[in-house]
Amino acid sequence: MSTSIRQFRYETGESLNIAVQQIKANKIRSFLTALGVIIGIVAITMMGTAINGIDLGFDKSLSMLGYDVIYVQKGSWSTMGQWWRYRNRPDIETRYATEINRLIAGNPLSELIVAVPQMSTIQADARYRDRQILQIFALGTSHDYPRTASGDLSDGRFFTAQESAAGDAVCVIGDDIASGLFTDGRAVGKPLRLKNHNVRVVGVFKKQGKFLGLFSFDNQLIMPLGAFEKVYGKTGMVTIRVKVKDEKRIPEAKEELTGLMRRIRKLPPGKADDFGINEQQAFKSQLDPIRNGIALAGIFITGMSLFVGAIGIMNITFVSVKERTREIGLRKALGARRRTILMQFLIESVMICLVGGVIGLATALSITVLIQNLLPDFPVSFSPMLVLASLVVSVATGVISGLAPAVSASRLDPAVSLRYE
Amino acid sequence: MSESPYIIRISSLSKHYTMGDQLVKALDKIDLDFRKNDYAAIMGPSGSGKSTLMNILGCLDTPTAGRYELNGQNVAEMDDDELARVRNREIGFVFQTFNLLPRLDCLRNVELPLIYAGISPEERLERARQALEEVGLGDRIDHKPGELSGGQTQRVAIARALVNHPSIILADEPTGNLDTATSHDIMEMFGKLSDAGNTIILITHEEDIARFTRRIIRLRDGKIESDSAP
Repeated sequence: MSTSIRQFRYETGESLNIAVQQIKANKIRSFLTALGVIIGIVAITMMGTAINGIDLGFDKSLSMLGYDVIYVQKGSWSTMGQWWRYRNRPDIETRYATEINRLIAGNPLSELIVAVPQMSTIQADARYRDRQILQIFALGTSHDYPRTASGDLSDGRFFTAQESAAGDAVCVIGDDIASGLFTDGRAVGKPLRLKNHNVRVVGVFKKQGKFLGLFSFDNQLIMPLGAFEKVYGKTGMVTIRVKVKDEKRIPEAKEELTGLMRRIRKLPPGKADDFGINEQQAFKSQLDPIRNGIALAGIFITGMSLFVGAIGIMNITFVSVKERTREIGLRKALGARRRTILMQFLIESVMICLVGGVIGLATALSITVLIQNLLPDFPVSFSPMLVLASLVVSVATGVISGLAPAVSASRLDPAVSLRYE
Repeated sequence: MSESPYIIRISSLSKHYTMGDQLVKALDKIDLDFRKNDYAAIMGPSGSGKSTLMNILGCLDTPTAGRYELNGQNVAEMDDDELARVRNREIGFVFQTFNLLPRLDCLRNVELPLIYAGISPEERLERARQALEEVGLGDRIDHKPGELSGGQTQRVAIARALVNHPSIILADEPTGNLDTATSHDIMEMFGKLSDAGNTIILITHEEDIARFTRRIIRLRDGKIESDSAP
């Protein structure tokens, strides 16, 4: 019994040796053979990296929004792109925040903590002396805003309840605006100009990055609602930000908020909601089909290149079997059994595929590093799971493509093969 | 003459195959025995069935009918893997075309049968080295076959045939690719191996080569024509 195990070990060792020699002896052929696998593995890993990156970027963006905040708006995020359905709805008004807060205060069992009004516009330009930044995201809100948003201050403070109530001309700005307008790095205390109003900077946010690569939190300017209305009028888009007690009970919170909004809007039973209650989860369901589409296309492309690669390897292994007919005959004459020969050729094709897989991984890794260096904002992420998956796929490709030639080699008649010219 | 035990017993052994629609009786009810330490040559014109006999003796092929007993084992009814085991343990092959693997050095070539016998690497190399010394190539162990002369190459092949201490050494036209002087060297080597107690069967069509042996078996049309001392 132990002899046959030892024999298996030695034969496998011999097969590994043969495979290494064979690959060394036919370097160019082996490389060309492995190319299909290399391309396949690069495709797999790049696709996986991209999907990982999208997920990661997305999670980062969502955490910027805050998992425990829901939003009352005119439309719904989960059906974005159907704006015409919401066109005729009444606008959301900032006073709803006050009313919601009053209702929450009267209900000790409420799932909600606080409602914060937000009026915003992207048609805002900020100036300081001769410097100007166009199309910033200006936002009027209350002093409670920080409770519903992520982002710490790098300098100064948020505006106070008094400033908020009085509508003082003060603002807290994102990092891009601060560094763009105030080249000396000191923004706090300085006045910047919005239209023809002076607004004093009281605080600066730390750099946060972009939301879904589209919208930058570093490009926003936050001021008391009263001040915003003085500068831009009451024309901005209104959102009520509502912080919930428990991010795991978002559905209950949404239900409660829907009830409150219907009371405020005085909607009779049976009439549909004429407002949207949104949460960051809606983005996820928006993005999932895109993400799945990318994944599906990726699997298809990868599958195709691996398939082509596998056929190439099968072809070359058949050629190799043909070329080495005499060697196979000799090995059989010297005592190699069918399964020994089978293993020999399987190990060879698996090894070519594994080498291809490793080269593919190295290539993909270099591309990833390159992208990270050239485009730091582009979300890419290389995971150990991808490495494992690629290696498994390489081995599987080797086995699948090597099986038929290996079986045909193992079945060769030794007497005939020894005389093969 | 010799009272040593039988190592090969063949009785009414036939090998038939069809070529086109014609039945070819490559071997027709042959009876043939070899004793331990026999040194025999199988001769015959092409088509006489000597290659077929060689293949069957070497367990590379199985007979259509009859009995072939090698070292007490009935080989005629074995499957592929059992035949592989018997070839590995009982038979040492020497071929006309040497059949060494060009990329391996002499030591690795000689070592090959031991790998399939499941022998440890240390013992393999030791035994391969010994076998090469036996054939007078102890100083060439790290040479590749391409760096050797024809005679040396065939001696490496003989070392490979010896390394597993087989019951019989089967040599198929071992001098067919060698010049006369080298052929005689090789035959002298077989003579020495025979003196050392090995059983050797060779196939040849050259009378002067056959004369080196102690027994000549002549085949014609799948039957034994004569079986005698030279």
